[in-house]
Amino acid sequence: MQKKIIEFTNLLRKSGVRVSMAESIDAFQALDELPLGDRELFQGALRATMVKRSEDIPTFDQLFELYWSAFYDNLRDAFDQAGESMSGEGFDLETLLGQILEGIGSLEGDLDLSELAKALLTQDLSQLEQMIRDAAGQAGVQRIENMLQLGFFTRRTMEQLNSEGAGRELRDLAQQLRESGMPDAQVDALLELIEKFLEALRKGVRSYTERELQQQNFDYMEKFRRESLLEKSFYNLTEDEIKRMREVVNRLAQRIKNVLSIRKRRQKRGKLDLHTMLRRNMAHGGVPFEMVFKERRKDRPKLVILCDVSSSVANVSRFMLQFVYSLQECFTKIRSFVFVAELGEVTQVFRDEDINAAIEKALDGGDVINVYTRSNFGQAFHYFWRNYLSAVDHRTTFLILGDARNNYNDPRAWCLREIRTKAKNVVWLNPESPSAWGFGDSVMDKYLPQIDAAEECRNLKQLSRIIDKLVL
Amino acid sequence: MFESVEDVELRLREQGYICGKNIATVVYLATQLGKPVLVEGPAGVGKTELAKVVAAATGRNLIRLQCYEGLDEAKALYEWEYSKQLLYTQILKEKFAETMAGATTLRDAAARVAQEDSVFFSDRFIVARPLLRAIQAEELTLLLIDEVDKSDPEFEAFLLEVLSDFQVTVPEVGTLAARNIPFVFLTSNDAREMSDALKRRCLHLYIDFPDEKAEVEILDSKVPGIDQRLAQELVGVMQRLRKLDLKKTPSIAETLDWARALLVLNASELDEALVGETLNVILKYEGDIRKAEGELGRLITRKTEEKAETAKTPPPPPAKKSVLH
Repeated sequence: MQKKIIEFTNLLRKSGVRVSMAESIDAFQALDELPLGDRELFQGALRATMVKRSEDIPTFDQLFELYWSAFYDNLRDAFDQAGESMSGEGFDLETLLGQILEGIGSLEGDLDLSELAKALLTQDLSQLEQMIRDAAGQAGVQRIENMLQLGFFTRRTMEQLNSEGAGRELRDLAQQLRESGMPDAQVDALLELIEKFLEALRKGVRSYTERELQQQNFDYMEKFRRESLLEKSFYNLTEDEIKRMREVVNRLAQRIKNVLSIRKRRQKRGKLDLHTMLRRNMAHGGVPFEMVFKERRKDRPKLVILCDVSSSVANVSRFMLQFVYSLQECFTKIRSFVFVAELGEVTQVFRDEDINAAIEKALDGGDVINVYTRSNFGQAFHYFWRNYLSAVDHRTTFLILGDARNNYNDPRAWCLREIRTKAKNVVWLNPESPSAWGFGDSVMDKYLPQIDAAEECRNLKQLSRIIDKLVL
Repeated sequence: MFESVEDVELRLREQGYICGKNIATVVYLATQLGKPVLVEGPAGVGKTELAKVVAAATGRNLIRLQCYEGLDEAKALYEWEYSKQLLYTQILKEKFAETMAGATTLRDAAARVAQEDSVFFSDRFIVARPLLRAIQAEELTLLLIDEVDKSDPEFEAFLLEVLSDFQVTVPEVGTLAARNIPFVFLTSNDAREMSDALKRRCLHLYIDFPDEKAEVEILDSKVPGIDQRLAQELVGVMQRLRKLDLKKTPSIAETLDWARALLVLNASELDEALVGETLNVILKYEGDIRKAEGELGRLITRKTEEKAETAKTPPPPPAKKSVLH
């Protein structure tokens, strides 16, 4: 049992569930407290002690299913089938086995049956299970990587089990029984049964290797999916994938907020405010009962976001808008704009609608701009400078999301310079790599001198790194 | 103390808390192993309630620490009662004069004052906050640390220290160790992921929305006098509502509110108009309400179809896998 739990723990770890040493010890202690044999309790105990993140619960449940039941059930099925097929031919398995054991008892001399042969004859499934596990461990089944190796590892495990030897022993036994005067019909039935059992054993081993393959691949697939989402370029995301990213994005936004709040609190308490304290403690005859500290001005960050929604970056902006939406839920002082050539505010849309509707609306111009034009950053910045400059002050971070492909229009970088003089800082996240900046109709090079930070932001990984950089 | 998992289930039920085996298992293990439980799950599924009923079922005193942004040691553990100390010094002025009477030098006087240090830095002037109260309590206690995800990471680290050996050191007084180790329940809404170190020390329990059957049962026990059929219908609508993509998914608390509201309105059956009028009881966002109104027809028509079916054949037992962790 202990071994199985440790093995299961390793499996969980491989699948990305973090289980510490202390936690597996907890699991053992927990199992000591519970009655054995109740599967639900067993599963509950392992889950409570080993799985500490709600996202990991499905993984745990699936692996639990795979590990603790599938194999044993398959083994039992295989042996049940063997028994049934015998009874289909007119033999009652129970009586037959009874007679055989009786026959063995009457045999002269000491029988030297191997463990495996004994287990097969007595259909000791739990013993068989353990033996298969051990043999598979020695055969290195845990290294299995793909379907093609199934046959190979099944064979190796069978060799490790020495199933052929056990078969030979059993056949010899049948021969001995025949010589000792057992009726031919019974001996023939026994011989057939032996073959059936060996076949069932092979099936059992095969199902074990299959299960192992599933387990080993389980985490692989999962990890692959997760990693690929992180690394995948925004350009190639499908709509569905973007929706799945929502949770990740939400967490990113939350993290920004957390970090900011820590910084805010550190600054909160200032020096002793002598003036106010004296004034407030007049009532106590000037004895300072109440202490008053100067409160430092809370540095509530303000955000102004400009998001390009032209068709060249449609998918990117879909994702970015999601990010903007999450940000807007975390911050109160935030204004969001979308632009192609015209520029319009969507703060209210984002506040009122739910996320999907809001994003669709924003991509459609949010009723404020025409999206079926060619993008013109210069015009958009100019428009912002003319109409919304009051939204920017010395506490504002001005965030631009776009590829700076300006369709050979005038970049009007001076607008950005003007905005920068008012803003705390200007940050540009560009989905294109820096090597492409300034080539073709990209005017990124014109804007670069006017901004504080420009980052390539093509996938989630980069985005989270940028966030760390920005807020810390 | 509980005797077995079934015992937990039973005794919580006596307190009016319907729970599945999963919850019972974790509670039982926590009491046996003396480990804190970290309860997670969406808002309103009864995380806090669980701690309360466990306290009631075991006859322990509930001490609650509500976490929020900016909660610090002074609010959670102890604080010196500054104004009381001052007040005492004012009142005891003459006594001080007596003590000082023989002192000839400044140094001597200071030494005498120092001798009396312990008078002012003693238990008398400590305001015990929930954590210290739980540690000092004479009787058995259950410490509920509510919404621990709202607290700051630094506080979490501090909490870790307290939870690991249930003793705190007050520099002026010394180390105070717990007389009785309290049961500890921490609840979290997952606003922030808790540190691994904290999670490692706790048993983890995830409470999800209950399935249909369990929810009807909860409704029955919490809102006595509700018509069985109305309860069924109501829970059916709730379950379907939860499948919509809402900003705030309605929880059990909302189900109960709604049931009580309908009871007051003397409703015996749900129809479109009634649901439409009372949606604001269960949904808290304008957008959500609008969305649900759009789906209203579907929510109800599907139900009437079901009703037509049930008229012919008895309803199939809900074969859904239990989602009640």
